[in-house]
Amino acid sequence: MKKISVKFGLSTAALLLTACGGGSDSSNSSGAPVVTTPPPAITRSEASRFLQQTSFGPTRTSQDRVIELGYARWIDEQIALPATPQLPALLAYGAQPSQGDRIAVWLRAAVTGDDQLRQRMAFALSQILVVSERSNLAGFPDALASYQDLLARNAFSNFRGLIEEVTLHPAMGRYLSMLGNQKPNAALNIRPDENYARELMQLFTIGLAELENDGRAKLDSQGRAIPTYDLDTVKGFAHVFTGWTFGGTPSWYQPNVDHRRPMQSFVDFHDTGSKRLLRGTVLPANQSPQKDLSDALDNIFSHPNVGPFISSQLIQRFVTSNPSPAYVARVVDKFNNNGNGVRGDLAAVVRAILLDDEARNPPANATGKLTEPLIRLTAVWRAFGARAANGEYRGEFLDFALGQGPYRSPSVFNFYKPGYAPPGEMRDAGLVAPELEITNESTAALTANILAIYCYVNNSTATNLKPEDIFLDYSAELPVAADSNALLNRVADKLTGGALSSELRTEALAAIERVPANLPAGRIAEAIYAITTSPEYATLR
Amino acid sequence: MKRRQFLLGSTAAATTAALLNPRVANAQVASGPDDYRALVCIFLFGGNDSFNMVVPRSAAEHTVYARARQNLAIARDVLLPINPLSSDGAQYGLHPRMPDMARLFDAGRLAVVANVGPLIQPTTKAEVLARAVPLPPQLFSHNDQQDQWSSLKGRTTIDSGWGGRAADALAGSLTTQQLPANVSFFGSNLFQVGQRTQPYVMSNQGAANYIVLTPGAALYAERRAMVQRLLALRGSSPVSRAFAAVNQRALATADRVTTALATVPPLTTIFPSTDLGSQLSMIARLIAARSPLAMRRQVFFAAAGGWDTHDDQNLQQPNLLGNLSASLAAFYSATVELGVAGQVSTFTQSDFGRTLTSNGDGTDHGWGGHQLVLGDAVRGRQIYGTMPRLELGGPDDVDAGRIVPTTSVQQYAATLLKWWGLSDTQVDGAAPGLGAFANRNLGFC
Repeated sequence: MKKISVKFGLSTAALLLTACGGGSDSSNSSGAPVVTTPPPAITRSEASRFLQQTSFGPTRTSQDRVIELGYARWIDEQIALPATPQLPALLAYGAQPSQGDRIAVWLRAAVTGDDQLRQRMAFALSQILVVSERSNLAGFPDALASYQDLLARNAFSNFRGLIEEVTLHPAMGRYLSMLGNQKPNAALNIRPDENYARELMQLFTIGLAELENDGRAKLDSQGRAIPTYDLDTVKGFAHVFTGWTFGGTPSWYQPNVDHRRPMQSFVDFHDTGSKRLLRGTVLPANQSPQKDLSDALDNIFSHPNVGPFISSQLIQRFVTSNPSPAYVARVVDKFNNNGNGVRGDLAAVVRAILLDDEARNPPANATGKLTEPLIRLTAVWRAFGARAANGEYRGEFLDFALGQGPYRSPSVFNFYKPGYAPPGEMRDAGLVAPELEITNESTAALTANILAIYCYVNNSTATNLKPEDIFLDYSAELPVAADSNALLNRVADKLTGGALSSELRTEALAAIERVPANLPAGRIAEAIYAITTSPEYATLR
Repeated sequence: MKRRQFLLGSTAAATTAALLNPRVANAQVASGPDDYRALVCIFLFGGNDSFNMVVPRSAAEHTVYARARQNLAIARDVLLPINPLSSDGAQYGLHPRMPDMARLFDAGRLAVVANVGPLIQPTTKAEVLARAVPLPPQLFSHNDQQDQWSSLKGRTTIDSGWGGRAADALAGSLTTQQLPANVSFFGSNLFQVGQRTQPYVMSNQGAANYIVLTPGAALYAERRAMVQRLLALRGSSPVSRAFAAVNQRALATADRVTTALATVPPLTTIFPSTDLGSQLSMIARLIAARSPLAMRRQVFFAAAGGWDTHDDQNLQQPNLLGNLSASLAAFYSATVELGVAGQVSTFTQSDFGRTLTSNGDGTDHGWGGHQLVLGDAVRGRQIYGTMPRLELGGPDDVDAGRIVPTTSVQQYAATLLKWWGLSDTQVDGAAPGLGAFANRNLGFC
């Protein structure tokens, strides 16, 4: 991002335009889309809304693809795409890449990757199975890139396998201190570390309270929540997760640090006693570390809470903060059995979430969700082909403004909690909106400022961009910029498939017309700023 | 930092606005005693191992402590002695990285409140083990216990915080304040949410102005009016409306705060260049600007993370406590510089204390823990409440060195709220469950 003075509004935009000779219209608007699936045909605004749920932002091209394939086949195509690998790209920075390099690699995949749904799913999973740079992982971006690749690779695999890979990944091992956790030593008052045992259950798999299949809390006869486990259960799992350290190392005490391969066990440091797990299960004594771990994860995975606990949060990341219990139950049914008797099939879960009638045809009183702040920005970038001259997407500064950055959560509790209820109307109505937990007077203004910088300053008409400055490409808009209606339609098409309320349309048009026609970049900027800072655009319904 | 400065909007523009606004330009920063009181909450997220912050120093008690803590024990000879005015028979010291706190303790500015934690009613170890008393749900879980500290909810479904309810209680007499009584420097938090009032959130860099809606940007007035109209639309989803409400508050307040801060001369006090130090520095500046903002009662929320020392505690905790001590000391100095040291009381909260036992190189989630209270209104150089016996299997240990609290968070909160200006009735409203405890005022301020 560039240093600029505050007076960069119209005058700067105009100044920046002078050396630009316009540009070719790169939008792909000729010809009617070919609909290969039976009716009903998908409109551009419907495709756009679907892509706001399933990608890091719609583009003309991706809208066309959804219209062509239909929702289900588009999902199938996305699921079949391999993950954009991030660790190799990070290591291309050299032997000592920075966290900023890691974020640049992540943003490039988010903005330019073909595997949009997979990357969105990985981002959603990274907000449930949290590890963060803001921890003892600060110095190890390779650990986080490797973990990201793990989540992307397993985005549509089975949850049971995913949770085992997560458990054994050294990023998680370090973050929640299972790495190096050893059996008790009574003489030194040492007992196993409870950190991973506790958060694995509380945050990654089953939660604190027993759930119905539709996501609502089960209640006892006195109307109280029923705890899923107690301190003894935590201790049981803490004993399970003993005896693991970095993979490929000959020494427990002085292990070779390797943040990319799975952890390995040292039987001498693994507790040999029996272990009390969930729902009355007791592991027998003298099992191997791997057998204990595998049995313990089976024990968790078989808990009926996993389906509703995970499915509810995935619905919140993709579709709505407040799914109906029936919607949750339909998705949980797929989690529990994909139709072929398989439990935990994440591809089936994602299909169920996105193709559900409540996702595609929401009822009139649906709350939808606040688009995650980071995705609000990447959507603008993608809509307008944002890039930097040097090909990078530097963004390590963004989370100061957005309250959100990849693997930058302040704690294992993610950027926001699933049950966050904003004070006021929503709390009074018993509704939640997780993303509003990081939307406050500070981040609201700073996010608008980030958007302003890209609209008004960092665009393709600017002449003083540095190689690393990400800029919006206005070449498709400049030829029509003098025609206010045509300009607004083109901008709205890219951002929302053309869906704008009449009020927003009127305001955006007036904003364009406040700028004279001989300052086209300024007109484009006004249109994008008016739309992207509006509550209507920030909310995905 | 330049990027951050930029994102926050131009200070030059704010200065211009101040010059154009005669009311603000002529405002004097009050320096004498005025009817002003502020509480400053410093939340130590993750659970401070406070049994290593205030440590027995007398030989017998230190031996018991060291036997429990093993390789995590602070050696007796490096503890910084503190000399309470009255004694429970033992001697105590502070962690060696907290020299400023030891100095302020003996100077009578700092108090320790011992072994505080969430409770429903006075509770003994035997009652815990026999399940004979109701306990706060989900003990040892971070977010649940943060919520207990923040809300005093106990076993109810209360969804507001005691800072917020305190602001509710005085809202009728604080109508001329230009900001909400609660201001957060650590984002949204339950502690400051009231039934009727909400906190205002700033960053440690100040209030965030909308850069293209601020004087100096071309077309700013027209654009600002447009944004205000779009925010005022009754969007069709409550999510839109909640988003709009935050933006409306931000837009209405940011310029006012920036303008007021611009009237305040720089502080000479130097703060640590840490996140906590920066938050407290900005709080001090906002206190200095209380007159142009017409503030009489404030509750500030600052916080530091990283206290969840499951790993490498001996490496991490010294830095955490060192930063806390230096930041608190700088903030106290700033209140002295501003002439408000008797009108600002600063206190700590944390998820829980930690296990006396070790998991090898760290500790796990406990229950009771010690807290610090600082300011000239504080009756310092005292340890309030009862110091626990730090013995595994001892009378206060309910499990692996998880210590049952002997003072409830309600009592701690009620004492602070009474000082802040709430009547006894208002205290009861803001600190529900207080009635279960005999002593409703711990007397530390």
